[in-house]
Amino acid sequence: MDERPAAPSASPDDHQQRWGTRLGIILAVAGSAVGLGNFLRFPGNAAENGGGAFMIPYFISFLLLGIPIGWAEWAMGRYGGRKGFHSTPAIMGVWGKGPFARYMGAFGVLVPLVIYFYYVVIESWCLRYAFAYATGGIGVDPGATVAAQVDASRAYFGEVTFSAANGVMAEGGVHASLWFWVVTFALNAWFVFRGLSRGIEKFCLWAMPTMAVCALIVLGRVLTLPPDATNPAGQNVLAGLNFMWNPDFAMLRNPQTWLAASGQIFFSMSVGFGLIINYASYLRKRDDVVLSGLTAGATNGFFEVALGGMITLTASVVFLGLAATQANSGGTFSTGFFALPVVFARMPAGDFFGAVWFFMLFLAAITSSLSMLQPAKAFFAETLGLSNGRATLFTTFICVLGNLFVLWFSKDLVALDTLDFWVGTFLIFVVAGTQIICFSWVTGLQRGLQEAHEGALMRIPRFVGFIMKYVSPVYLLVVFGLFCWLEVPGYVRTITGSDGSPPDKVALYAWGVIVATIILLVTLTAIGARRWRAAGLDLDGRLPAPDDDDEPGGAR
Amino acid sequence: MTILAWLFMIASVGFVTGLMIWCFWKVLGHHGKGD
Repeated sequence: MDERPAAPSASPDDHQQRWGTRLGIILAVAGSAVGLGNFLRFPGNAAENGGGAFMIPYFISFLLLGIPIGWAEWAMGRYGGRKGFHSTPAIMGVWGKGPFARYMGAFGVLVPLVIYFYYVVIESWCLRYAFAYATGGIGVDPGATVAAQVDASRAYFGEVTFSAANGVMAEGGVHASLWFWVVTFALNAWFVFRGLSRGIEKFCLWAMPTMAVCALIVLGRVLTLPPDATNPAGQNVLAGLNFMWNPDFAMLRNPQTWLAASGQIFFSMSVGFGLIINYASYLRKRDDVVLSGLTAGATNGFFEVALGGMITLTASVVFLGLAATQANSGGTFSTGFFALPVVFARMPAGDFFGAVWFFMLFLAAITSSLSMLQPAKAFFAETLGLSNGRATLFTTFICVLGNLFVLWFSKDLVALDTLDFWVGTFLIFVVAGTQIICFSWVTGLQRGLQEAHEGALMRIPRFVGFIMKYVSPVYLLVVFGLFCWLEVPGYVRTITGSDGSPPDKVALYAWGVIVATIILLVTLTAIGARRWRAAGLDLDGRLPAPDDDDEPGGAR
Repeated sequence: MTILAWLFMIASVGFVTGLMIWCFWKVLGHHGKGD
């Protein structure tokens, strides 16, 4: 870790935080993007929304939303770092030139923080599954019928996730899943406490290639699977690939397909989370952001399409057949946690491949969850003036409370689902919209592109400027409008109650958690703004950034 | 497997794989050359 000369900064330990290598930050951002959504959410999403035809809106969203907004985040973050800021509210205040953007930026801390409340719980499930497979399997009888195996698989999922009732985790002693959550949580806290280059970067440099190797092992096995003798003829690898990729162009007329594609891009690329801004804020002025941003996006696409799109549904069709695969491919968890354990039970050396698969999911999840903790830690350090250790402790405390809420209210995963919908989907659109407006309109596109091109190893094509200024905001607005029209009413009814049924209490509690977190973050943003002004920092973006050309090193 | 399914699969997987390889080739090509 190299140190830079002391410069005005909002957090006490700022000078100690720096990326070690260019490859390190690329793999850290790619690791943050490659997560459970790539392997669990994408295949089901694609199969439900037109198969191969789904790739048309998917790539359009990739090119019109994911890459342009991602570039804007990279450029905004690096510029904010030169101003001495690393938290999204502070950096958004600089680019949005005032308090409105700063307070909107508080959502850029809320999103990763609240997603962490449930994401790390899912991560601990993956660790438990991996451990179970490595030590003898999860108890699905290889000789049973597919229906019985799916039932056994669902029963195990219920036991791991406590989804039978609320408060199960506290009944009859400490449940095994809680120990896996403790280990997972401790690992996250430890790597974040270690800092950027010694913790997150070092881990991602190891975890990303390992994840790729694990995925390739499972992919190699899936693509060479012989037809299952117990299933009807024709259910082979090609039938599985056909189920995933055969295009249904009629689905392109359904707005839901376009919504699913853009939602997939946002969730998967970590765009609109506020975490790319935080990661990029530790770069130097002349560190490339354009090629780095594209590389991270492309790596995420590779893991999602070339690996995620080839493994789960293909294997499921071979062993479960088309009908059972269709029945178990809706939703994020169905294919990964219900169907694949049946596949592993029916294939030779299934326990080995099960362990590899779930260990890979665990790695994918932890590289993402680390990137959710870091923006929150940076925010608490900046607003309260905390040292690295105290900021880690404070972040850990808040996250333990959030995790315990999700663990306690586990029945049918309503708490998890409510947080995921309002924060992990709805607010991502809001944060992404604020970011691209601040970048292209408030500060101005020319200034934004000029900043992005500082030290860039490739230039952003001229037409992308037009996309960033006009197409991305309008496309985002249309998609958000569709989302509010198609998806929001159902979730509002769970809170308000409908047709004489009472509101879902747990959904209301989840709303309480979101509102309480918003109040905390907005209050801290106000406290932070006062601190930053007193420290003489340019929190409204009125002055040019200090020129740090003479700084040594940089991410190489 | 239909021809269209093959086409969409090869085009999609080829695009993301090619883009990633090109990006890493550029990144590693500039590695250590300074900014």
